[in-house]
Amino acid sequence: MPATADKHSEDATGRGESRSMGKATAQGKGESEARVIALPPDFRLAELAAVKAELLEALEAPAVNIDGAAVERVDTAALQLLVAFRRESTARGQSPAWHGVSTVMRDAASLLGLAQVLELPAPMPA
Amino acid sequence: MSKAGLAQFQQVFIEESLEGLDTMESSLLALDDGGDGELVHTIFRAAHSIKGGAATFGFPEMSSFTHEAESLLDEVRSGKRAIDGSIIELLLRTVDCLRGMFARAQAGEPLNDAVAEGLRNELAAAMGRGIPAGGVQARRAEDQADAWTVRFRPHPGMLASGNDPLRLIRELAGLGELRATPEFDRLPATLAGLEPSECHLGWTITLRGPVKRADIAAVFDWVEDECDLAIEAQHVVAKPAEAPIATAPVAAAANVADAGAARAQREAGAESSSVRVSIDKIDGLINLVGELVITQSMLDTFRGEYDATRVAMLEQGLAQLARHTRELQETVMGIRMLPIASVFNRFPRMVRDISQKLGKQVKLELVGEQTELDKTVLEKIGDPMVHLVRNAIDHGLETPDKRRAAGKSDLGTLKLEASHRGGNIVVEVSDDGAGLNRDAIVAKAVQRGLIASGEGLSDEAVADLIFQPGFSTAAVTTDLSGRGVGMDVVRRNVADLGGTVTIRSTQGKGSAFTITLPLTLAIIDGLTAAVGGERYIVPLVSIVESVQLKPEAVRSVAGGELFRFRGEYLPVIRLHDAFGCDNAIRAIDQGLMVVVEGDGSRVGLFVDGLIGQQQAVVKSLEANYRRVQGVSGATILADGSVALIVDIAGLVRLQGRRKAA
Repeated sequence: MPATADKHSEDATGRGESRSMGKATAQGKGESEARVIALPPDFRLAELAAVKAELLEALEAPAVNIDGAAVERVDTAALQLLVAFRRESTARGQSPAWHGVSTVMRDAASLLGLAQVLELPAPMPA
Repeated sequence: MSKAGLAQFQQVFIEESLEGLDTMESSLLALDDGGDGELVHTIFRAAHSIKGGAATFGFPEMSSFTHEAESLLDEVRSGKRAIDGSIIELLLRTVDCLRGMFARAQAGEPLNDAVAEGLRNELAAAMGRGIPAGGVQARRAEDQADAWTVRFRPHPGMLASGNDPLRLIRELAGLGELRATPEFDRLPATLAGLEPSECHLGWTITLRGPVKRADIAAVFDWVEDECDLAIEAQHVVAKPAEAPIATAPVAAAANVADAGAARAQREAGAESSSVRVSIDKIDGLINLVGELVITQSMLDTFRGEYDATRVAMLEQGLAQLARHTRELQETVMGIRMLPIASVFNRFPRMVRDISQKLGKQVKLELVGEQTELDKTVLEKIGDPMVHLVRNAIDHGLETPDKRRAAGKSDLGTLKLEASHRGGNIVVEVSDDGAGLNRDAIVAKAVQRGLIASGEGLSDEAVADLIFQPGFSTAAVTTDLSGRGVGMDVVRRNVADLGGTVTIRSTQGKGSAFTITLPLTLAIIDGLTAAVGGERYIVPLVSIVESVQLKPEAVRSVAGGELFRFRGEYLPVIRLHDAFGCDNAIRAIDQGLMVVVEGDGSRVGLFVDGLIGQQQAVVKSLEANYRRVQGVSGATILADGSVALIVDIAGLVRLQGRRKAA
């Protein structure tokens, strides 16, 4: 798996489990803890209902991080979901940070011209 | 990339494309002979690569021109159109036209000319024939562009049907340089309002590269009903009709910038100045050089220690050095050796064209196409062969009715055969036509005062007459006329390569012209002859025999000396006279008579003696000094002194002129 260097990549296994981390992240709004949403390896249409629910929940959190390091398959619908989440999240004053983006996901996003709007971090050497 | 940066790749592109054109031509000819469908694919691929390359390397006119041919081929390939003689003819002319374009590209001239324009229209018209009327013009105008804008708006239900825009766009990206700009105007404002299985995004995609509309449309074939799609050509490149005007100043500007490089390339001439070498050959060379280095370092250990006990080792080292040097020499020579197929390949087309024009049926047989010979020889053998082939079809082979009358099949056979014979390469052009008309040649020769009568002349001697300069021109009324036009040029060209031309001909059965050439011009086998204090190299190929004569065997006649050799009287050329050497042996019985053959005749070269046989690496006298009559080059002997290489044919001609004077 082409995991990017990421100190939280072990969280990739805990998909669907939105648990609180014992520490605040630098990107967080400061006063409280950030949620980490780990995207599933098969991040496609069939899985989106679950991810959407998770994301909706995350919108209520003070800060949220998304971990896409585990993503092995992705489709347009999935990226569309992320775009919609990001738009609303930004509108609410959150600034969701990336905890890792797999190559598959990065490629798909750039093909669709969505890398910018998703604010994907610049590629890191693996 | 900058113009200058592209220029270095342009040359490679042009060379590759010329090869592609050769492939197209030979495949078209094979197709004409009833070849299989795979050939169409081969032709199509060749055209396609040229088109793509031309667009990349800054020849938009060429690209759009080739595109017309490609579209036509595409229809043939997809079975929409049956290939027939007229299409093959048209495509063959397209190949010629493209060759012209490449020549102009190399010369830095504007690519388009009247022929190209006319042909483009013909190709377009040919395309139009097969397509239902209407829409043809519109389609063609936009069929091809270098940049496209695709507006792609999937319907919301598209994702649910399993069609993923990501896959479609990825496929598009395979066609050219792609940039997708997403549109979010249909995306719900809230995440809650988004149904993940519905597509609310849209894209405006720009695609750069020489892509056909059809290729883009094909990507969206399956989702036609599930999206709004608009494909528009971006006219960043001038339309074909405007191309000549638009590009002329650019070409001119490029000319100024690249003047130096372009001139250098032009000076290199039409003969291409590079050779493709297989990796195997290069690896072999590297291997040999490695061996040579090892031997050298081994010999190095003897430096300063000339111990008698080590002489055996030293000898062994020297023997190794000699072996490796010889192998290295052979391998390096091998790099310059190319199959004669590249020359042969131009003939199917030529034979087809000439025979059609003359209304003759000709079957061309090629034998020994893989025979390898030196690149320089290869480049120069082409013209003489073209001459011989043209003559053979024009004058040798008869028209079908004449052939029937003579009891032969309608189909005449022309055979080109190449083979190695010893250190020579033998190329034979033979036909089963009428053969040389002895009576007509004799009559003509008598009329021109070349001979008194044909009596007593062997067939070979008669055939040889056609090599006389200007022999047999249009003034002759027989069907044989022209058979001699340029034959003297053929012989001269071949002689310049150190080769000979001979004729075998049987009246009514056909004739064969045999060209014998040395494998390479760079190294010759020669005998070292001493004349006075000088040494000369006599090429081994021209030596027949050497004899020691008694003084009375040589007779003085008007204009020179003759001696009898195997029933023939041969003129004597005293090398010391010809080259003005002092202190040479003048008495016939003390020197040696070397019988040599050059320019179709035999002479005796009188020298002091023969020293030995050796391989001589030919150094051009022309390049280092100037052309000298009777000398074909120079070489450096083992002791470092220079020896001149005797040009037998030149010497014979020189002698002939002296005699006449």
